[in-house]
Amino acid sequence: MSPTPIKPRQIMLNGLWRDNPIFRQILGICSTLAVTNVVLNTAVMCVSLTLVTALSCWTVSLLRNWTPRNIRMMVQTLIIAFYVIIVDLILKAYWPEMSRNLGPYVGLIITNCIVMGRCEAFAGSNPPRLSFIDGLFSGLGYSFVLLAISVVRELLGMGTFLGIPMPYFSGAYWDKWIIMVMPPGAFFALASALWICRSIGAKEVKK
Amino acid sequence: MKNKPWFPVLYMFVVTAVFSSVLIGFAQMTRPRVLANERLAFERATLEAFPEITVPPSPQIHSLFNTLFEKSEDAAGAYVYRKDGRLVGYAVPVAGKGFWAPIRGVVGVSADLTMITGISFYDQNETPGLGARIVEPSFRGQFEGLRVGAIEKPIGIRPVSEALRDNEVHALTGATQTCVRLDVLINERLSEWLAAMRQKGGGQ
Repeated sequence: MSPTPIKPRQIMLNGLWRDNPIFRQILGICSTLAVTNVVLNTAVMCVSLTLVTALSCWTVSLLRNWTPRNIRMMVQTLIIAFYVIIVDLILKAYWPEMSRNLGPYVGLIITNCIVMGRCEAFAGSNPPRLSFIDGLFSGLGYSFVLLAISVVRELLGMGTFLGIPMPYFSGAYWDKWIIMVMPPGAFFALASALWICRSIGAKEVKK
Repeated sequence: MKNKPWFPVLYMFVVTAVFSSVLIGFAQMTRPRVLANERLAFERATLEAFPEITVPPSPQIHSLFNTLFEKSEDAAGAYVYRKDGRLVGYAVPVAGKGFWAPIRGVVGVSADLTMITGISFYDQNETPGLGARIVEPSFRGQFEGLRVGAIEKPIGIRPVSEALRDNEVHALTGATQTCVRLDVLINERLSEWLAAMRQKGGGQ
């Protein structure tokens, strides 16, 4: 059985929109809820996850013809953990403030379902180049939803964007929605994002 | 070879060995930097606990710290701050549970042990925009010049609506839990340290 050939363009579109990890597959929700209260933290988390996903998929794909099927999950976890630890070490050594801000969430990328999901669903049966593209664009699909959520949360909750006070929102007229930067705010924002993205998706299907 | 029963075991062993070796090497490479970063954060906080010191850019912090501060047995675990041979104050490291994660910081105490010169935090993971505002100058600045309380506890953090005594500061709105814990962790360590210092006959 040979896998149906799939074009890189197709893969990109799937990762970004049609099979978007957040609003289609509802994967990686833990970090979506946890790190989206400040835009900068979210951005670093997104870059970390995208890199880890792309490189893990690439590595899993490279080893796919050698890896015995019955231990493939162990090998995948090992590969993912490998990249996550490297990202964690780089942050600790070169950007300690960010490492402290993200706390345990960098380490928790290991358990992020997006990474394992892509490794298992795609990289295990596709060549390295396509797997890399698949991982990269799934990561980007995750990133743009998270960034959108974090921009809204930071703006409404703290009146700032990347820590810079924004006109109107940081002024006296704006009563800051403190709940937006607290955990409950994450649920409201995520639900709204799902609602909006799925409504747009539904229209596309009708056409 | 792939069909042999021992192949998965060997495969896992080899893959693990390869990846782990790379990681160990990488961790060893970055370790000095990681430790230096932690140390630097602490030294910066110590300098910040004394507002009279202008904190220099990161590369010069370490040398300035070493010229001004010295860990001393006589200071019950605190760092002694000397300028031109004259005792100016003590930097007392404080640590304890915050709302989410441990908070670690440094409290500056004047040489006669009656006044707080300042406070700074170098490790905290409180809610951004709420509890995390304890690191902002508007909150920390309130501690400068506090008279250390003789009865009850050395310092106090009170809700914004209440009047302050001269060893108290206002809490942050929306960060009640962080402030309650901060009050506990600072006081616990500070009373313990002050007691030890007074026993040694310090604080003239």
